[in-house]
Amino acid sequence: MGDPKAFLTVPRQEAGHRPVYERVCDFSEVEQVLNEGERRLQASRCMDCGVPFCHWACPLGNKAPEWQDAIYHGDWELAFKLLSGTNDFPEFTGRICPALCEKSCVLNHCIDAPVTIREDECSVMEKAFAEGYIKPKQYERNGKKVAVIGAGPAGLSAATRLNCLGYEVSVYDKMQKAGGLVRYGIPNFKLDKYIINRRVDFMTQEGINFICGTKIDLEKLPEGYDAYVVATGTPQARDLDIPGRDLKGIHFALEMLSQQNRILEGEKFSQKETVSAKGKKVLVIGGGDTGSDCIGTCHRQESLDVTQIEIMPQPPKDFNPATPWPYWPQVLRTSTSHEEGCTRRWSLTSNKFLDDGKGNVRGVEVERVEWVPSPDGGRPQMVKTGEKEVIECDMVLLAMGFLKPQHPEAGGNVFLCGDAKTGASLVVRAIASGRQTAAEVDSYLKDK
Amino acid sequence: MSLTEYIGAVGMNILTPDSSHCKMVRLPQPVITNTELDTLCNIRYKGFYTEKLPMLFDPSKGEQGLSDALEELCREAERSVDKGINYIILTDRGLDKDHAAIPSLLAVSAIHHYLVSIKKRVQTALIVESGEIREVMHTALLLGYGASAVNPYMAFAVIKEQVDKGTLQMDEVTARHNYIKAVDKGLLKILSKMGISTIRSYRGAKIFESVGLSGELLAKYFGTVSSSVEGITLKTIARDAIRLHSQAFAQPQTDLLPMVGQYAFRKDGILHAWTPEAIATLQIATREGSYAKFKDFTSIVDSRKEPLFLRDFFTFKQNPIPIEEVEPEEEIVKRFVGGAMSFGALSDEAHETIALALNKLGSRSNTGEGGEDNARFHGTKDGVSLNSKVKQVASGRFGVTTEYLVNASEIQIKVAQGAKPGEGGQLPGYKVNEIIARTRHSIPGISLISPPPHHDIYSIEDLAQLIFDLKNVNPQAKISVKLVAESGVGTIAAGVAKAKADLIIISGAEGGTGASPISSIRYAGVSPEIGLAETQQTLIMNNLRGAVELQTDGQLKTGKDIISMALLGAGEFAFGTAQLIVLGCVLMRKCHSNNCPMGIATQDPELRARFRGKADYLVNFYTFLAREVREYLAQMGFRRFQDIIGRSDLISIDTSKMDEKTSGLDFSKLLHRVDSPAAISKCRDQKHNIFTVLDRELIEATRYAVENKQPVSLSYEIVNTNRTTGAMLSGHITSKYGSEGLPDGTVNVTFKGSAGQSFGAFLAKGVEFRLEGEANDYIGKSLSGGIISVFPPARSPFEASENTIAGNTILYGATSGKIFICGKAGERFAVRNSGAIAVVEGTSDHCCEYMTGGRVVVLGETGRNFAAGMSGGLAYVWDKNRNFDYYCNMDMIELSLIEEKARKEELKALVEEHYRRTGSKLAARMLADWNHYLEEFIQVTPIEYKKVLQEEAIRKIQQKIDNVQRDY
Repeated sequence: MGDPKAFLTVPRQEAGHRPVYERVCDFSEVEQVLNEGERRLQASRCMDCGVPFCHWACPLGNKAPEWQDAIYHGDWELAFKLLSGTNDFPEFTGRICPALCEKSCVLNHCIDAPVTIREDECSVMEKAFAEGYIKPKQYERNGKKVAVIGAGPAGLSAATRLNCLGYEVSVYDKMQKAGGLVRYGIPNFKLDKYIINRRVDFMTQEGINFICGTKIDLEKLPEGYDAYVVATGTPQARDLDIPGRDLKGIHFALEMLSQQNRILEGEKFSQKETVSAKGKKVLVIGGGDTGSDCIGTCHRQESLDVTQIEIMPQPPKDFNPATPWPYWPQVLRTSTSHEEGCTRRWSLTSNKFLDDGKGNVRGVEVERVEWVPSPDGGRPQMVKTGEKEVIECDMVLLAMGFLKPQHPEAGGNVFLCGDAKTGASLVVRAIASGRQTAAEVDSYLKDK
Repeated sequence: MSLTEYIGAVGMNILTPDSSHCKMVRLPQPVITNTELDTLCNIRYKGFYTEKLPMLFDPSKGEQGLSDALEELCREAERSVDKGINYIILTDRGLDKDHAAIPSLLAVSAIHHYLVSIKKRVQTALIVESGEIREVMHTALLLGYGASAVNPYMAFAVIKEQVDKGTLQMDEVTARHNYIKAVDKGLLKILSKMGISTIRSYRGAKIFESVGLSGELLAKYFGTVSSSVEGITLKTIARDAIRLHSQAFAQPQTDLLPMVGQYAFRKDGILHAWTPEAIATLQIATREGSYAKFKDFTSIVDSRKEPLFLRDFFTFKQNPIPIEEVEPEEEIVKRFVGGAMSFGALSDEAHETIALALNKLGSRSNTGEGGEDNARFHGTKDGVSLNSKVKQVASGRFGVTTEYLVNASEIQIKVAQGAKPGEGGQLPGYKVNEIIARTRHSIPGISLISPPPHHDIYSIEDLAQLIFDLKNVNPQAKISVKLVAESGVGTIAAGVAKAKADLIIISGAEGGTGASPISSIRYAGVSPEIGLAETQQTLIMNNLRGAVELQTDGQLKTGKDIISMALLGAGEFAFGTAQLIVLGCVLMRKCHSNNCPMGIATQDPELRARFRGKADYLVNFYTFLAREVREYLAQMGFRRFQDIIGRSDLISIDTSKMDEKTSGLDFSKLLHRVDSPAAISKCRDQKHNIFTVLDRELIEATRYAVENKQPVSLSYEIVNTNRTTGAMLSGHITSKYGSEGLPDGTVNVTFKGSAGQSFGAFLAKGVEFRLEGEANDYIGKSLSGGIISVFPPARSPFEASENTIAGNTILYGATSGKIFICGKAGERFAVRNSGAIAVVEGTSDHCCEYMTGGRVVVLGETGRNFAAGMSGGLAYVWDKNRNFDYYCNMDMIELSLIEEKARKEELKALVEEHYRRTGSKLAARMLADWNHYLEEFIQVTPIEYKKVLQEEAIRKIQQKIDNVQRDY
């Protein structure tokens, strides 16, 4: 903590985003960076709380006050050590984490301007790579082997931890490259893929063996390992089973997102396979982050127009009394993709897809719903109002979340990890789960 | 105070002085550098022999290894002594994978007590060379258990590393020097808390209280016979030492040591009582007024995964009755009072909100020790009084005026504070703004440090006198005394009860103050459970419990806490931290820095504007707490809270919560019930002897004069059993007219004879006391505008200025008024004077100590230590022997001749008034040849005060300049 009153004199300064007219023309990262001096000034706003709620809110338990102080003092190497002590991939979370920490920051509570924890985190890691503070290490091997199935953030973090503990780790993934949803789900304008490549290269240099493009049957795990970590995520997206679902032009969000990322990696797809929004009126069903990613991607694919609908009511704008500090606020969030333009509507359920007569979708019949509080205090109940209308569109993207996979209760030397264990969640939770699973594997194997 | 010590063998025969007594090494402080240790090891001089004994044991042998190693170490030490070694250096430098360090305190204490037992201790000095030593407390413990010097080589190594890396930007010698200096200062602080002045008296004094060590361990290695709650044995110590040792050699090594969260919450660190969940849930519950959420809060606290407090092991015997039969919440809530937090520490807004809430509930809030703005005494908000009903009187006596005291329904004498026993309150200068300075009768920007002791309490009789004083000035108020939980507190409390306190507070160590020194937060004070149980038992044994109520504090949060403490004997409960959390505190722990972002512990107007606490939140908190207590009472089968006080037999111990470390705890002493028919809770009132005081006559005789503001002159004989004369009269006047009092000279009383203690205490404005005779101690205590003159009988044959006419500690805590003493006074004249004017013809030691305002004229000799800690006001001393500078404590003041015209005039006017009021022959002589005598006066100006005066002068000049410019 620098000046204890810095939070009064130094305003929160976000690095900001590239201008809309520029950024919608390419897939490069939208977020900009601050220079070192400004970054250190931002870090000085941290008050080193006696009870750091940021640290409490972070699933990884990142010790923000400690590394903010190091940044303020310009000791980036120390900041890097402190940060990497709790987080294996700060360069991922520094870009795409919704920053539970910032919502719980005491400064968010008292002046609505939290410390720029996420951006600071990102800058520490970029500095660490640029200055070479992060160096691949070779660990003394203990002769035991672990297979990690799934190279998403959970699997990668479990692999990293286990490797540090001396296990020989092989990571399997069905896709051509490691990264999981971070690579194939998150658009490049939020997270450039060289960042994943850099991390995977680094892990390879530390001795982790990547076996990609190999689908593993969970019933028949590869032989020769002392333990298995299953981090296969939530591959099954939630479907919308209403009339007209088999019309052309209705896709899962990930079909589009992952294809776009693969195209940018240089893969080629035939005309028939391509899912493109170019020149189309797009309807995104689902108001979450994936939906928002679809919007940004549509813009960049030069769609005509994008509408996003959500079944839940519109959340309050700035403050929601139902979710007070230090808890995660359920408020209206406007992503960079929303800024780029789209129509957002709430409290709409989809009744049926409409056919244009040629087997293509031409619109969706939606109906306004109301949510009434449940008498027993549980989830509010949905009531249809009968107010129906048709939203015209020639492409529909379904971004309604993912189904929790039904894995048999793992046991013995098989450990479930990340989304595969808990259902779809944040990258930061996946990393936390990976670390925890690694510790479980270690305590299982240590005395064997 | 001094840290200098002479170490080595103490001569065998002190009756025959010879050169062997001089073979000692003089250390300026007990922390020695590596070089110094090396020098000591290699003194190649006749009669100095050193030997190093390794404090190591074999970790593979576990407890047995440690116990054998200790035994061997003791025998080694004995052999060394027999060989004539006079410096034994205990070292853990040899630590490696196969040799673990014996905890240094254990080793030192074991050897110390072993050598004492074989009568060979004084022939050698123990010096500890250990990597364990880092904090001040570590050094203090080692010294307290017999070490003569310590060498914290690891701390020095860390310093070197920091210097080499450039994180410490200074050279190594300076850095090391700074570390040693910091430890020295910390040691002095610790010594002073225990009332010890020299390190030589501290060494081996063992003034520590161990909690959680078994009696067996204490008896064998620490020379202590009893243990309050028993606890761990050597086995656990060995296990811990081995665990840490193996951790140190475990692979892979990490770059950074883990941060365990000693002073700040960390998820992977040690457990804290206030977790983020608990803070958030409590705030939300009280803000939304949701009892269900409040129950969430109490369940988070009561079911924490590991017990933190002794009370966490308690469960209560059940015998349910319908809740409707239990006394209502409104009755229970009156037992909850606000913790003492001063206006100054807290912002105006927070302080007022607390008062408002507790007044709404019909309970009592506490001013803390900083006084209270007198606008609040009668001020209201929405029809609720803003007046804090409990007025604290602490050692600094800040803001203690007669008006303050008469507006109290309880006056609390703060002897000490649970979280930092032995220390006075400290308000840093940057928190002292205009309004705080006004309520404390001090100057903005000057740090306010309360002295550790009350200067009018040196014995239990003195305390009785103070209680009597306060009871006189406000007969309606209960008088309470705040003590700290410690072993032996029972005896003190019994004394306090006999001194006629109405209420005794046992303050626990867990209570926090964000502004406490870090060393005190962790290492000072004892759990309230231990102090409370002892107090309850002692009071019952002496049949005193029935006459006093017991109150306790120390991190109380939930209904379970309340019931636990009630069963141990408490009838009232004070809340500090919990209150602040309800008002928005998020435990930043920045209270000392004036930077509280929630506007609670700050005086910064910008931050204060952020305060968003409301009295209703506190009302909710206390109501919910009472509701939960009521539920517990129903479960336990009691209709009135009163009936469970002291019923420790209703507590059963939940052994399922015990782990390896806590399984050794034994609560039998804590839960012991005294077999006596005496009352176990308050059932009668104290009999204060205030019905026959002289003041009753005075009040009657002046009734007409006071009602109509008509002058009256009276005359009385006085004897030394007439104590605290004038206080009740002043209280009477002040409750009528406030601090304004009466017009000057309204009530004139002449006394003849020998006055008892506290003559003219709290004397209000408009009252003038003339005493022809002599007086005891504490004249003009907390003088609040009255005028006192003391002079010898008209025809007395002796020279007044050569003889002592008045006792000690005159004008203690005076805020305004005047006193003229024709003759000499005793010690501590005008201590903590913050506004009164005094003329005296000579004083004893410590005159003007801690003075922050007013004027003192001494026409004669002073004792030593004049003006110690003086930060305001001025003193003029007639330096007739030309040696005043020798007697003066020059730390905070400057001496000069009287140069300014205004000062000269002021002094002359005072001497003239002294002559007029007392007929002093000395004053007459001086006035006859004033110009000559004036040159012999010395002016004593505190440096801080000088700065303030000059700033004021510059401000005036600036104003003049501004005016001139406007004329153009």
